[in-house]
Formats: sequence, C-alpha cells, structure tokens
Amino acid sequence: MTDRSGAAKRSPMGRLLAPVKARLWFACAVQGLGAAAGVVPFIAVAEIGRVLLTDGPVDEARAWAIAGAAIAALVVRLVCLMAAGALTHLADLDFQLYLRRRIAQRLARAPLGWFDARSAGAVKKALQDDVASLHHLVGHSYTNIVSAVVTPVIAFGYLIWVDWRLALAAGVPVLLGVALYAAQFRSYGEKMDGYNAALGNVNAAAVEFVQGIAVIKTFGQARKAYGRFLERTNTFIAYFWDWVRGLLTLSAASEIVLSPLFSLLMVLTAGLIFVSVGWVAPVDLLAFAVLAPGLSAPFLTLAYAQNEMMLAKGAAERIADLLDAEVLPEPEAPKQPDGSKVVFDNVGFSYDGEMQVLKDIDLVLEPGTATALVGPSGSGKSTLARLLPRFWDAGAGRITIGGVDLREMTLETLYAQVGFVFQHVQLLRTSITENIALGRPGASAPEIEAAARAACIHERILALPRGYASVVDEDARLSGGEAQRVSIARAILADAPILVLDEATAFADPEAEAAIQDALSRLIAGRTLLVIAHRLNTITEVDQICVLDEGRIVERGRHDDLLVKNGLYAKLWAASGETRGAEAAE
Amino acid sequence: MIGALISVVGEEGRAPLRRNLFGLLIEAVLMGVGFVLLTPFLRALLEGDMGAAWVWLGAMGGVMVVYTIVRYRTQLDGYHAAVGLARVLFARLGDHIARLPLGWFGAERVGQIGRLTSQGVIDVMGVPAHLLRPVVTALATPATVIILMFLFDWRLAIAALVTAPVAALAYRWAGDLVQRTDKRVDAAAAEAAGRIIEFAQAQAVLRAFGRGGASLGKLDAALTEQHGAGRSQLMTAAQGFASFVFTVQLAFTVILLFGTNLALGGEIEAAELVALLVLSVRYVEPLIGAADLEGALRIARNSLFRMDVLLATEPLPEPESRPETPRRPASADIVFENVGFAYGETPLLTDVSFTAPERAMTAIVGASGSGKTTILRLIARFWDVGAGAARIGGVDVRDMTTEDLMARIAVVFQDVYLFDGTIAENIRLGRPDASYVEIREAARLARVDEIAERLAGGLDARVGEGGSILSGGERQRVSIARAILKDAPIILVDEATSALDPVNEVAVQDGLRALTRNKTLVVVAHRLQTVRAADQILVLGEGRIVEKGSHAELMEANGRYAGFWRERRRAAGWRIGKAASSPATKVALNRKRSISDEGL
Repeated sequence: MTDRSGAAKRSPMGRLLAPVKARLWFACAVQGLGAAAGVVPFIAVAEIGRVLLTDGPVDEARAWAIAGAAIAALVVRLVCLMAAGALTHLADLDFQLYLRRRIAQRLARAPLGWFDARSAGAVKKALQDDVASLHHLVGHSYTNIVSAVVTPVIAFGYLIWVDWRLALAAGVPVLLGVALYAAQFRSYGEKMDGYNAALGNVNAAAVEFVQGIAVIKTFGQARKAYGRFLERTNTFIAYFWDWVRGLLTLSAASEIVLSPLFSLLMVLTAGLIFVSVGWVAPVDLLAFAVLAPGLSAPFLTLAYAQNEMMLAKGAAERIADLLDAEVLPEPEAPKQPDGSKVVFDNVGFSYDGEMQVLKDIDLVLEPGTATALVGPSGSGKSTLARLLPRFWDAGAGRITIGGVDLREMTLETLYAQVGFVFQHVQLLRTSITENIALGRPGASAPEIEAAARAACIHERILALPRGYASVVDEDARLSGGEAQRVSIARAILADAPILVLDEATAFADPEAEAAIQDALSRLIAGRTLLVIAHRLNTITEVDQICVLDEGRIVERGRHDDLLVKNGLYAKLWAASGETRGAEAAE
Repeated sequence: MIGALISVVGEEGRAPLRRNLFGLLIEAVLMGVGFVLLTPFLRALLEGDMGAAWVWLGAMGGVMVVYTIVRYRTQLDGYHAAVGLARVLFARLGDHIARLPLGWFGAERVGQIGRLTSQGVIDVMGVPAHLLRPVVTALATPATVIILMFLFDWRLAIAALVTAPVAALAYRWAGDLVQRTDKRVDAAAAEAAGRIIEFAQAQAVLRAFGRGGASLGKLDAALTEQHGAGRSQLMTAAQGFASFVFTVQLAFTVILLFGTNLALGGEIEAAELVALLVLSVRYVEPLIGAADLEGALRIARNSLFRMDVLLATEPLPEPESRPETPRRPASADIVFENVGFAYGETPLLTDVSFTAPERAMTAIVGASGSGKTTILRLIARFWDVGAGAARIGGVDVRDMTTEDLMARIAVVFQDVYLFDGTIAENIRLGRPDASYVEIREAARLARVDEIAERLAGGLDARVGEGGSILSGGERQRVSIARAILKDAPIILVDEATSALDPVNEVAVQDGLRALTRNKTLVVVAHRLQTVRAADQILVLGEGRIVEKGSHAELMEANGRYAGFWRERRRAAGWRIGKAASSPATKVALNRKRSISDEGL
C-alpha cells in the first residue's frame, strides 16, 4: 500500500480522477473559451443596434464587421464545445476502462474469501454501474460548471461596461432567486432522510412481494400481501406529496424569479426609469434586453451540477473502497516447498477480529493421507479447510507446506501444490476444452480427454453439439452433476498433490451421484486429502478424523477409535444413525 | 414517449396528464408572447416614445402575472399528475404481478420486477414532476416566437421558420445515429457484465487453476471491447450532435446576415431588427438545452417500456372468465390426462398420464432436467398445461379459483422463502386464524421448537430478510411447520438435493412424516427410503413416463428404475477410501474407463 500513503489525504473523488485530471483541465479551458465566444453574438446584436441607431450616416463596414465577428464567434463556439465534449467523453471512456481494469487487478489479489462474503452482483454493480455513474461527472459536470460561470461573468462584465448601475439592477433577480432557492433546502437533509426511508420501505415491500410470491399465493395470501405493498406505496406517496406541497410556493417562486421573462421585465423596468431620469441612453438598454435574461439560467445548471456531484461522490466512495480492498501480501523472496507435508501450527482465525472462528488448530497432513473434518454446522470446519488454499490468511499461527509458510510462497507455487473441489461448481463461459485445461495450459488433446474420461464425462461431452469445442452455457448445457464432473476433470488434469474437497460435492446431484463419486475416487487417489465431511458414513475409512466444535479440534483419530471414546463424534454418528440405518436397510 | 406513458397509466391516469400537458403548453406560449412584446417595446423606446414604451412594458408585466399564475398551477398539476401516476402504476403493477403465473417468476425476474415496482415508478414520476416542463418549453416557446414574428416582419419570420424543420431533422438524425450504435454498446456492456460476474463467481477457480494472468484475459477483452464500442458510438454521436448545433446556429446566422442586409438597405427599421435579433437569440438557446434532457428522458422511457412489457404479460385466466362457474373437487386424488407442457419452444413434458390416488404417496424419479418438478408446478398451477388436463377430484385445476385450489394444496419446495418477521408469523401464514397453541403444536411437529430454543425470543425471534438468520435446513423446517398448520389434503414435496447436516436431516424427515400422514402426497424424491416407501413410483425420462409401479414391481421389471436403484445403492455405499493408494493405482484407475457417464 505504498499507493495509499500519499493519496489517502485527498477525497476519494480527487484520487480517482487523478489520471484524467490534466485532460479535464484542458477540456475545461477549451469549454471556457467556447462559452466566452458564445456571449459574443449576444453582444454583437447590441452593438449592431448601436451602429444602426447612431445618429447620422450608418457605418456599414462596422455593422458588417460586427456581424462577421458574431459569426466567427459562433464557429469558435461550435468548435470549442465539440472539442471539449469530445475531450471529456474520450477521457471518460479511458477513465472507465482504467478504473475497471484497476479494480479487477486489485480484486484478483484480494483474499478469495472476500468473494465468498460478497455476491457477484455486488461486484458487477461496482465495476459496471458505479463506474458508469461517474460518466456524467467526467463527461459533463465540470465543463457545465465552467460554462455556467464563464457565460454570466463575461455578460455581466460587458453590462457593467455599458452601465454599472443598470448592471447592478440586472443582478437583483438573480440574487433574489438564489435566496428563494436556498430557502427550500433549509430542512432538506432531514426531509431527504424521510424520503429515502419511505422509498426504502417501498423497495422492501416490492422485493418481499415478488420474492415471496410463491409462498403468498400458495397460502392464499395474495390479497393481503398486495394490500401491504399498496399501503407502503401510499405512505411513500403521501410523504412525497407533503414535501412537494409544502415547498410548492417557494419552489415555484424561485423558479419564476429565475425565469428569463422575469429577469427581462425587471431590467427593462429599471432601465426605463433610468432612461426617464437620464442616467442611460435608450440604445444602452439593448444590451440589457439581450443579455439580462441569460444571467440567471446558469444558476440552475450549477444547482444540478451540485446534485450530480453528490451522486457521483457516493459512487466514487464505493469504488475507492474496492480499490482499497485488502490484498493478500506477496512474498518478497518467495520460497519453494520441500515436499508436500502440510502443517497447521497453532492456527487461529477470525472474520471480524472479534469472534474467533478457529482457535489453536494443530494439524498435520502427512503426504498421501486422507484427513476428514467433521463437526456441527458453525464449528469452523469449512473455514479451516479454506485456509489451506488461502481463501483467507490465518490470523494467528502459521500453515506450512513442505516447511514453507503459505505466505512465503507465490500463489503460483501454492496452487501448483493445492487443488480444491467445492460443492459450488465454477465453469467459465468458454469451451469445455479450455475449462478442463485451465489447470494446465498447453495440455494436449489426449491429456484433456483422458482427464474427462477419468471424470466420467467424456461420453457426455462427445454428445454435445460441438463436442469439446462446445461453449458452456451456450451450446453446452450441462446438468449440475455434469458440470461437477467437468470441474473434477479439471482438477485431475491440474494434478496438484494436495487436494481440499467438500464431501457434499459427492451428492450435489442425486441423479448423478454414482458417476460423481467414481470421478472423485479417481481424483483423490494418491493425493494428500483434506475433506470437509457432512455424511459421516463416507469417511469411516480415512486415516484421520478431526472433530471440530466451536473452532477447536476436540477429538481426533480413526473412526473406530473415536466411537470407542464415546465423545462428540460418537454422538454425531448416533444422530446420523437414523437416516444411515434406513439407507443401509434397503 | 407521451404515448407510452398514456398506454401504461390506463384510462384513469390519463386525465391529469393531459391537463398537465395542456397547462404547460399555455405556460410556454405565454413566455413566448412575453418575449415577443419586447419588439414593440424596443421600437417605442428607440423611437423615443416613452409613453408607448411604458404601455408595452405594462403589457409584458401583465403577461408575467398571468404566466406566474399559470406556472404555479402547472407546477401543482405536475405534482398531482406525478402522484396520480405513481398511485396508478403501483396499483396496476402490483395487481398484475399477483395474477401472473407463478412459474413466470424466475430468480432474475424477481430482482428486475422488484426494481421496476419501486425505482422504476420513481423514474416515471419524474416525467410530469420535472421533465415535461423543460421539454414543452424548449419546443413551444420558440414556436410561439416564430409565429408571432410574422406580425413584425414576414421575411425574417420565414428565414427562422425554414431552419426549424432542418433543426428537427438534424435532431432526429442524431438520435438515430446513437440508436444504431446502441446495439454494439449494449452487447458489449452485457458481455462485460457477464464476464465480471464470472470473474467474481469463479474467482477461486480462476486463481487456483488459471495460473498466472489467464484469469484476467477474458474480462479484459470484454472491457476493451466495451471501451471500443463506446468510442465508436462517441464518434458517431458527435457528428449528429454537431450537425444539430450547427443547424440551430445557422438559423441565427441567417437571420443576422439577412436582417443586417435588410436594415442597411433601409427595408426594415433598425429598432425592429434589433428587437427581432434579440428574439432569435432567445429562441435558439432553449433548443440546445433540450438536448441535455435526453439522458433523464431515456431512463424514464426504458422503465416505461419495461412496465408495458410486464403489463402485457398474460395472467392466468381465472374461471370467472371461463364459461362454466367455478367448481369444487369432491376428493383429493390427482389425475394427469395426456398432459403436455413446454417452456417456450422446448417441450418438457409429453403425453404424461397418471393417477395419484387419495391418501397415497406417489414418488417421481428421473434424471435432472427430466421434468419432475414441472409436474408439481402444474398441479399447483404455477403454469397452465399446454395439452391435456390436470384434475383434482375430477375438476380441472383451471376451473377452480386460485383461492380454492391453493386451499387444497400445501407445498414444501427446495428453496424456502421466509418473510422478515417472527418465526411464529411465518408459520401462521399457513392458516392466518390459527391460535398460538396450534402454531406451537405445528412448530413442535416440525421440530421448529428446537430451533426456537436457541434463539432469544423463541418462536417470536425475527428471522431476518428472507430468513437469513436460519440455516437452509432450519428454514425448511419452518416451511414444513407452515404446511402442517395449513392441514391441506394434498401435499407436494420437492425433496432437497442439497446436503443437510445430520441433525437437520433427521428433523426434516420427522417433520415430513407428521405433515404427510393421511394425505395425498406427490414427492419429487431423491432419497432412497422415500422412493422405497412410495405406493406408486413414476419414472420420468425425456419428458415422458417410462415406467410406473411399486418398488417391488419395478425391480421385478428390471428396467430403467432397477438400473437407477442399483446405481444409487452403490452410491450410498461410497467411501472416501484410504486415499493413500499408490500412484500405480491412480494410473490404473485412469486407464479403466468403463464406468458409464450417465447417472440414469
């Protein structure tokens, strides 16, 4: 986290935008030039009027020169606006790509457990939706702000040059409008919280209504649930109504005062009075008639821009959180393990830093042996198994393979040693070949086929429309058990000497149980095995059973020895006896 | 857009919208009139007729007063319309959702619909509340100005008028250009989203097996394509937008040059020209502003479109709309008569006929994807059959009201949904008028009392959103208690395939036994003893019933069922062996390729 130290002081938004900052500044400068040029035609109209209305012969050349200047300014404006727009939008596209890549690279180094704790949908939301919601900020907001400031400033400057007293009068409606507008926001935060709460209730009711629809209907509760949904929506509508109704006078007044017609009327009234008392010439009013109505319009742009900034800030904070996601530290001088003996040495672990999920775990996996972890749900057996493929790093103690701490080897080295098959199958949307060969890129076709055969899935693959070239989820539609066997073929090909297995894999798809089990039997043969066991009858023959309870290993030994001990294992065995007995009796 | 809005709100929501639209139109025209009064005002002023100038200014003030009143009304009307719109949309969507076939609600749809019925409605509310005004103003005010320009100088008015359709064409063309590139952008975004999901879901595998940088390859390619699609859209859209702005500016240029020429030639009074030039710069501005609203409008339009699609989805017909009056079944046996069913184009069940006798147990077995669960769903009328008929006690399920049908059936499915409430409330759902004693009894039978014991509050402990504080097995036990309380004559069970720990496994079995006693039971069975205990077993394959009979009969027949049974028996005896078998064994095993790939 060297990249954090200096940047941490800046706001998340400033940090994120750093790579496109220079381009944004340049775009803003171009936009500023364009905005300034945009005022010129307005000034030109006033000045042409002055030329035409001056007593005596009309200076035709001057009139044409002013018209020419106006047209030239229009061209400059068009070119500048387009250029600034193109600059910001290109910057935005590059920025989005850059951010997405950086997030992905960061997440690719986060502990695997990080993904366990989050839904893929949340990651997608951050990478696609949150990044995209910065579009308006990068593509529009900054340049809009520049325009909204430059345009009235130049216009106002010109008006002061024409007549400073009338210019001040022209500023009055703007100030009044801003004051009225600001008054609306006095209790805004509080109201917004109430609004969000009411909207949140509608959301929750909608989700509950739709998600629970099967239950609702099968229990004949449709009318009641529908009623509850409507009730929440009515509360929300009533809240919204109270809010806008209460602010109606203020909001309407502020918008009316800020409208161009009101500005025009005010400045002309003041102007007419000034003309009557001889402070200004009638022809000077032209400039005000042209420019005054535009003075207040940018204010609303600024108000919107502020709103956009708020929205973008939320997204930027979420993105910054992702970029700060904890990463697994890489060793500076990676070591190579000597052999594949696994040792858990006094290991402890906690997800939240408070509740200890694992305590004082000492465990040795001798090469070629099978060790089963059993225990009631919540005892920590899944967590313990996940520490070996480094889903998380141990909080206390250390885990070594061949004498080397997991944290002292590269991930490549680690995963060359440790493979795993969990209940949740993970196939990629690519060809079956690539899915199997993932573990050994460059594997030959016969090798891949041999692995598929060993995993009892070869024939099924051949039956697919394009055989091994079929793409998962496109033309390779596989059942749960079939997908599971493809993932087993992958592990067979990867051939890591140590394997972590969730025994639930074996009965993830009851209709294909036997085939999966055959595949698993071939996968585990000869490897050092650490298995999370659910059905005790499958592990009666393993070399070592560790019984976990509340994060500690409370018993260990072989099946028969543990039964004799008559401890927790014996109890669990008895509890599962009822179903086991029934199965066995068939 | 307005058309879509009007179609979605239905008859009742139309009037306020129309009124709001009409009010906005008047408001915009008034603003145009106010601007146009500038012309006679300036003429009077510049000619030194101060009296006339005051009169015209007074007129402008008068317009401003009317404008203020109208504006206040339309703002109020806009909120009225927004609120009315929300009310109608919530009610129409909610009502329609309650009548859709249950089978329609897939996991993906649930999220989409949840969003549509909340944020989607808010998006649409924004149209009358905020968006309609700037759109109407941007179009109607310049139109008013142009038309009224004819009063002063028809030549300049025509010059302004001819550019209007060109600007409109340019605007439309720009929109078309964007739309044409949308396809690639959308496809790239969808692909990238898919790869991101994969990246997150399969991260463990990508990292462990995809040694090195391979894990980022596909994702990076998708992100790069998204970037490229965005770039090409930008280039195309920039052309369109530039042409639009150029056309609008050209209008002003034409008026400026033409007008200056006229004035210098003495064909138009200087004062009038200046006034008209002021008008034309005012008329150009809101048009360009209108382009900025496009984004917000597009969001509202998309939500509207999705609502339209949802509202157009056919609900299940209720018997009221069929000629016969609803009928009540006399018994609780279930008969399928030549039932066919297809999801879209793919036929799932063909010519399925069977009788599930009253108070007997019928088990359905078959390979995954063979249509077992669909049979349960057709009984509960999640979908209507495509061919044939499903009958309960002699009455077609389509001839019963939803209430009547559901009163006869209790379902225990694999994915259990619990409401964010207490355990007791979730059980009570089975029979809302049940007493607390009855709820406790149902909880006891389903062994939910044991779960309640460890929770603070017991049966009154809250289960969290979707039942999140309970494990899968525990949620199942609550759903069984719910079904026990309901005490319906027909029970449909989709047995869990996922692993339960021994304690939950036993508890669920106990609960199911209590639930199914003396009922007509149809169960999609995965456990061998469930299958064995069935009075009748239906063996499903390729969407048809391939075998039917008791366990003994089917074993005797030695057909597909017997093969299935033997496979499953072998599986039940599987042991994770002493894995210390030598590498030689491993090779030997790899060479032995005899085992069939098929589960059934």
